[in-house]
Amino acid sequence: MPRFSFLRRGRHRVGSDVDEELHAHLDRRTEELVASGMSPEEARTEALRQFGDLEAARAYCRQQDNEKDAAMQRRLMLEDFAQDLRIGLRGLLRAPMTTLVVVTTVGLGIGATTTIFAAVNAALLRPLPYANPARLVRIYTDTPPNRFPFSVADYLALEAQQTTFERVAAYESTQMTYSDGVTAERLQGRRVTWTYFDTLGVRPAIGRDFTIAEGMNGGPKAVIVSHRFWQSRLGGRLDAIGEPIRLDAVAYTLVGVLPDSVGPLERQREFFIAAQFETPRRHGPFFLAPIGRLKTSASAAADELHAISHRLFYRNNAATWSQIDLQTWIVGDSTSIAALAIAAVVLVWLIASLNASNLLVARVTNRRRELAVRVALGATHGRIVRYLFSESVLLAFGATTLGVLIAYAGVSGLRSFGADYFPRAAEVSIDGSVLGLVLGLTLGSALIFGLIPALTSATSQNVEMALRSSGRSSTGTRGVRRLRRALVGAQFAIVTPVLVVGGLLLTSLSALSRVNLGFDGHNVVGGAVLLPASQYPPARAIPYWDELQRRVAAIPGVTAVAFADGRPPNGSQNFNDFDLEASPTPPGRAHPVVPWISVSIDYFKLLGLTLLEGRLFDDRDWRDDTAENPVVVDRAWARRFFPGGSAVGQRLHSGGCAQCAWTVVVGVVNEVKYAGLDKPDEGTVYEPLNRESNAKYLLVRTVASPSAVIAPLRDTVRGLDADVPLSEVATIADLVDEALARPKSLSILVAALAAVGLLLSVIGIYGVMAYYVQQHAKDISIRIALGGSRGDLFRRVVGHGMIVVAIGVGVGLLMSYWAARAMAGLLFGVRATDAVMFSSVAGLLAAVALTACALPARRASAMSPASVLRDD
Amino acid sequence: MKRQPLPLVQGTVDMFVLYALAPGPMHGYGVATLVRGRTDGQLTIEDGALYQALHRLERQGLIEAEWGPSENNRRARYYTVTPAGRRRLRQEVSNWRRYARAVGALLGDT
Repeated sequence: MPRFSFLRRGRHRVGSDVDEELHAHLDRRTEELVASGMSPEEARTEALRQFGDLEAARAYCRQQDNEKDAAMQRRLMLEDFAQDLRIGLRGLLRAPMTTLVVVTTVGLGIGATTTIFAAVNAALLRPLPYANPARLVRIYTDTPPNRFPFSVADYLALEAQQTTFERVAAYESTQMTYSDGVTAERLQGRRVTWTYFDTLGVRPAIGRDFTIAEGMNGGPKAVIVSHRFWQSRLGGRLDAIGEPIRLDAVAYTLVGVLPDSVGPLERQREFFIAAQFETPRRHGPFFLAPIGRLKTSASAAADELHAISHRLFYRNNAATWSQIDLQTWIVGDSTSIAALAIAAVVLVWLIASLNASNLLVARVTNRRRELAVRVALGATHGRIVRYLFSESVLLAFGATTLGVLIAYAGVSGLRSFGADYFPRAAEVSIDGSVLGLVLGLTLGSALIFGLIPALTSATSQNVEMALRSSGRSSTGTRGVRRLRRALVGAQFAIVTPVLVVGGLLLTSLSALSRVNLGFDGHNVVGGAVLLPASQYPPARAIPYWDELQRRVAAIPGVTAVAFADGRPPNGSQNFNDFDLEASPTPPGRAHPVVPWISVSIDYFKLLGLTLLEGRLFDDRDWRDDTAENPVVVDRAWARRFFPGGSAVGQRLHSGGCAQCAWTVVVGVVNEVKYAGLDKPDEGTVYEPLNRESNAKYLLVRTVASPSAVIAPLRDTVRGLDADVPLSEVATIADLVDEALARPKSLSILVAALAAVGLLLSVIGIYGVMAYYVQQHAKDISIRIALGGSRGDLFRRVVGHGMIVVAIGVGVGLLMSYWAARAMAGLLFGVRATDAVMFSSVAGLLAAVALTACALPARRASAMSPASVLRDD
Repeated sequence: MKRQPLPLVQGTVDMFVLYALAPGPMHGYGVATLVRGRTDGQLTIEDGALYQALHRLERQGLIEAEWGPSENNRRARYYTVTPAGRRRLRQEVSNWRRYARAVGALLGDT
């Protein structure tokens, strides 16, 4: 039976087959009965009687035949499909390099794009997991270019005077020692106003929210803990509500437990205590993060914030309080990072797909004769398209499988390591919209691959021509050639901005790592020591610090010990405003604000800072009887506020407190980075560190590598009080690395993507040129045979490729200009439109492309005309 | 004397058809004639039931059908038993014999 005959046999045919068979039977039986002596009528009747129910039999037989045909059709279709895939797979395995390059590059593109999108989706696109999050705002003091938190005075004024918010609240981060009577541990928590959870719309899963009484000075002390705290430290007991929780040796009554899943502000925080503010004596310090839930429109709230801050500070035109959507605040500057990362991965995916398309076009054109033979042997046009399409399907399937695997690995990696880069890394997951993106990318890749069957179908129609042309440079390939050149041009246009941006980021990174910290950071190590306030009143704290200093100084290898409340390069905890005696802030202007670092007497010596003018702190500065408070400033501060003369001896009111004693500048030292490596020096003030303070950074300079001192340092701190650990232990080198981690990984990501893109583009241009030379072997040979100069030919062939590259890079440079300006905020020490970078990238691309073009061109100009022409 | 025909035991028609086709390809009319001749009118098998069985067995892949010329030079559909059909026939025949023996033993046949 011919293979496809069933396709032509429809329902009608089945019916007539059955009819013919049954009628033949009845006719023959009748004939036989007539032969045995019956009359024709009797014979017919008898035959029918013997047959039984004719109609039922016919219907049954037809039904059986139809079922059988349908089953066979299904099987044959499956077999055809499996055969297509088998042929496709065999074809792909015959070209393992092409297959490998296509699957890995496109798979990588899909995987990387999906991973980055999953992170962006979690961080930027999904709304915050709070009730009606669009109404939530973060409030701050705006003194461009800085945004500062509120002081207690600010917050109390805001709470008393505002009318445009349903509720306002504020929080600050805090660490406290939790003790269950047996062991003690240091935990991260927050001190929040009693309105905090109500403002966010968070309800405790167990127990209740804070009450107003718990937020009043002298009211009951209350705490709400995280679900994890309740599970692991309270055994998940429902009757734990109402029990005392000891934090820094003070008992707080447990009033509630948060739900298991919390928002980004509550994540990683184990406890929340209700803040009880005393009426502040002065304006600063500034440490409270205020939030609000809008009652009216955002603009009305903004106007009111401006008005309150004017009244509060007796200013008539400077608007100092402002607000921003809470989600925007939490997302912060990751928007530009996210945009950059996503643009880079999408572009590389695009390059990979274009490259794949280019490789596959080359494959198809190389097999033009094979396909023509298939057509000549009876394969239908549709069959050839299906056969080619099955290769694309297999490639897309392979790439997607790889991509999904990469995406799953990437997402789980981001969840554990991404917290530094994406504000809501813990929420990163593969959800519906991410899977939608995978589908979109797969379809996009398949569509770009899909150019190939369309193209071939155009050529395979001219079977005879293809067979007859037998490799002569034929007109049928001109369209293919043009398409491939366009694909390669597009690759170069896309890779250029990726390279430029990657280069700019690497330059920034190198500039950042060369930033002068202002001191010798080698062999300096330190950690934080926090004394529970209730156990260490001043009378106990002062001897503790003195003893700690004495014991640490006795550790072998330690040459200097100092204390401070901040650490370079990112550790400034405190900003303070001030009013200069020499140039008082006029009404309507904000006080200047600078980092304010409290240090012990040996701090300058330990860091090795240079005294430029005046004196450093000495013992008299810690005596209580001084009329004026001494401060040391840095050179940037002195230049900023006293550009003409000397800063030493100048007086100021710290915190703008006019009734307080004068603060006087006694010395000037060189600059140190406290606010971040990428921030300009805008002045720093040092004041003597309060000896009875409960929280200090311990800093130690060592003779040799500081790592050997870390263990004895920890033991010494623990030896003094087993409940007080040394936390946040790090060398200055560690802290610098930490500050560089984010720019480093971003620039490495983009640079790696740029390298992949460059490699793929080079593969593309090489493939096009090799194909060009192969197709034109005869033309070239004839030219040489007719006496054409080989040098001319070389230039001609190279020029053919380089013009594509030149157009691509030209378009790419225009896009780079736009892209670099969009990401200028991420750069440091290099201009977004850095001419050197732009020309180096163009030069690099030209050089690499030239090499890729020169190899085939050399082969072309070295061809022996006789052998090429004979080969045909 | 002519005895009343026996009613047919369920499922035996398929076995008869396979049995009839076992020696070689045959058309439906041949099968009907053969079955009629062998049972000597003792079993009531209508021709229609035989054709139904033929098409059922064909759907199950136990026999294959092909058009060919008949003895009287007309077109006829010839049926051939497939290997799967032969396996089924062996099984059915052996089952039937065991059944018949068991029934015979019960009734005290020697």
